[in-house]
Amino acid sequence: MSLAFLICLVVLFGLSAFGAPIALAMIAAAVSYLAMTGQDLALASEQIMQGLFNSFILLAVPLFIVAANIMNAGTISDRLLNFCVAAVGRFRGGLGHVNVVASLIFSGMSGSAIADAAGIGKIIIQMMTKDGRYPIGFAAAITAASATIGPVIPPSIPMVMYALVSDTSVGYLFLAGITPGLLMGGVLMVMVARISAKRGFAVEEPTPLRDMPRITMNAFPALMMPVILLFGIYGGATTPTEAAAVAATYAFVLAAVFYRAITISGTYEILSSSARASASVGLVIGGALIFNYIVASENIPNTVAALLRDLDMSPLAFLLMVNLLLLLLGCILDATTILLVIIPLFLPAARELGIDLVHFGVIVVVNTMIGLITPPYGILLFVINATTGAPMRDMIREIWPFMLVLIGALLTMTLVPGIVLWLPRLLGYGG
Amino acid sequence: MMHSVLAWLQRRADNVAVGLLTAIFLSFILQIISRYVFRQPLGWTLEACLLGWMWLVFWSAAFTLKEKDHVRFTILIDAARPGVRRVYLVITSLCIAAALVVSLPATVDYVAFMKIEKTSLLKVRFDVAFSVYIIFAVAVIARSVWRVAQILRGQDEDIQA
Repeated sequence: MSLAFLICLVVLFGLSAFGAPIALAMIAAAVSYLAMTGQDLALASEQIMQGLFNSFILLAVPLFIVAANIMNAGTISDRLLNFCVAAVGRFRGGLGHVNVVASLIFSGMSGSAIADAAGIGKIIIQMMTKDGRYPIGFAAAITAASATIGPVIPPSIPMVMYALVSDTSVGYLFLAGITPGLLMGGVLMVMVARISAKRGFAVEEPTPLRDMPRITMNAFPALMMPVILLFGIYGGATTPTEAAAVAATYAFVLAAVFYRAITISGTYEILSSSARASASVGLVIGGALIFNYIVASENIPNTVAALLRDLDMSPLAFLLMVNLLLLLLGCILDATTILLVIIPLFLPAARELGIDLVHFGVIVVVNTMIGLITPPYGILLFVINATTGAPMRDMIREIWPFMLVLIGALLTMTLVPGIVLWLPRLLGYGG
Repeated sequence: MMHSVLAWLQRRADNVAVGLLTAIFLSFILQIISRYVFRQPLGWTLEACLLGWMWLVFWSAAFTLKEKDHVRFTILIDAARPGVRRVYLVITSLCIAAALVVSLPATVDYVAFMKIEKTSLLKVRFDVAFSVYIIFAVAVIARSVWRVAQILRGQDEDIQA
């Protein structure tokens, strides 16, 4: 590691720590590195522009963001929620279960945990806290915890980013996320059941069975979304990127034509906020492209790999170490930053140790999603705090049990790769 | 007066960003329809999407993204007293502006040099395509300097937003 690289890191971490946008901090750090090593300063812009222009796969990012925003604005989320209340509201801790199941279904439609928490999360927290049935801390905590499933079950923006840095197939990554996502939902529901029984939470009035057909019909077009997406991708009709466009179109047609829930000015607002969200993610990706160029030219990933080789680390020990490190980093760093900047450092080592990169990718994504709810820097906690006013302290107190079972699920899928890989293998993955 | 002009410009910049996103979206739909319905694959739609995406990112970063829209690490900033926070903001803004200023001449050279190449299907010259980076760099420099000036004059109430 050269002095120039050290200074580059100091600039990057210094600027980001004091609140500069991370993307701009990466560009500034890259310029300082190029200046110190006497390279052409234009390399920064060149890497960023060429990288963005040549990564077709990244086009999925703005499209999935548009799709999620349309679903939230177009009452699609509300309808799904009514369906979930009718289906699982009758059990003890009913709305807690509804929360998890709604997240599972919404996961199949949106690629972002934040869209999940801000959309259905907000509505369900209102339902849960009405008449004081559930403490707001608990409602907010289970909402945040279940929102982490969003990007594990396809479609998934973080998986698109991982595919970009690791050169693995997005299609197989998407498939690999399905079982782990269901596992996460399962452990959360077990926890909800236990806590509800212990604290005597309310049972909902069961929805009469004769109303079920009507409620299901109402939600049916929305429920078809995951089916259309998966069929499109695995039936060979669309690439994952094109599936994002199909999802956005379908959501728009549902919201505008069937449910008549969005207007022209509403559509403009959706596009405007989606444009800002896409640009801020795109800029970080751009910054990561130049930063990763520097990391590669310093030969850092191979140094890391060689170091681990000297330590004679077993693949399992490596995975556990990476997990631990990422969980710690997840407390202070954003998932995008971890995926784009930290993960490339470990990829050559993982490859060399014979770890399957699809397995590794799913573990990494699940891990960074848990990072979204770990205090002090848990973005999902901030989003829920901002949209519902749930006090931070109550949320943090109630989030621990959910976080622990999620970490348990993460450990299980780390130790048993089959949980992650059986589905992609079934559909032709050779790894 | 100055304020309303800026607000007007901001709205127009937002119109452009929305237009770009809409264009990306529509060309994708066109691409899928032409390939699966009419069995006529179009290549140029993909290029249009990539150009639109590149412009969307840098155009928005230049004109429509507010501080709060960016991916940032805010623990220290949030914990700091307002006076200290201003110091942080001044330092980070100046560093970023400095890096972009220093690299600007080389970047302009590079973008201008790219006039020798065109995209393969739409035949858009790369200096035109990449010029959005120059717009972005100049806008970020201007905004950073403006912010520092505001802070130094004590008129930074809306800067945190």
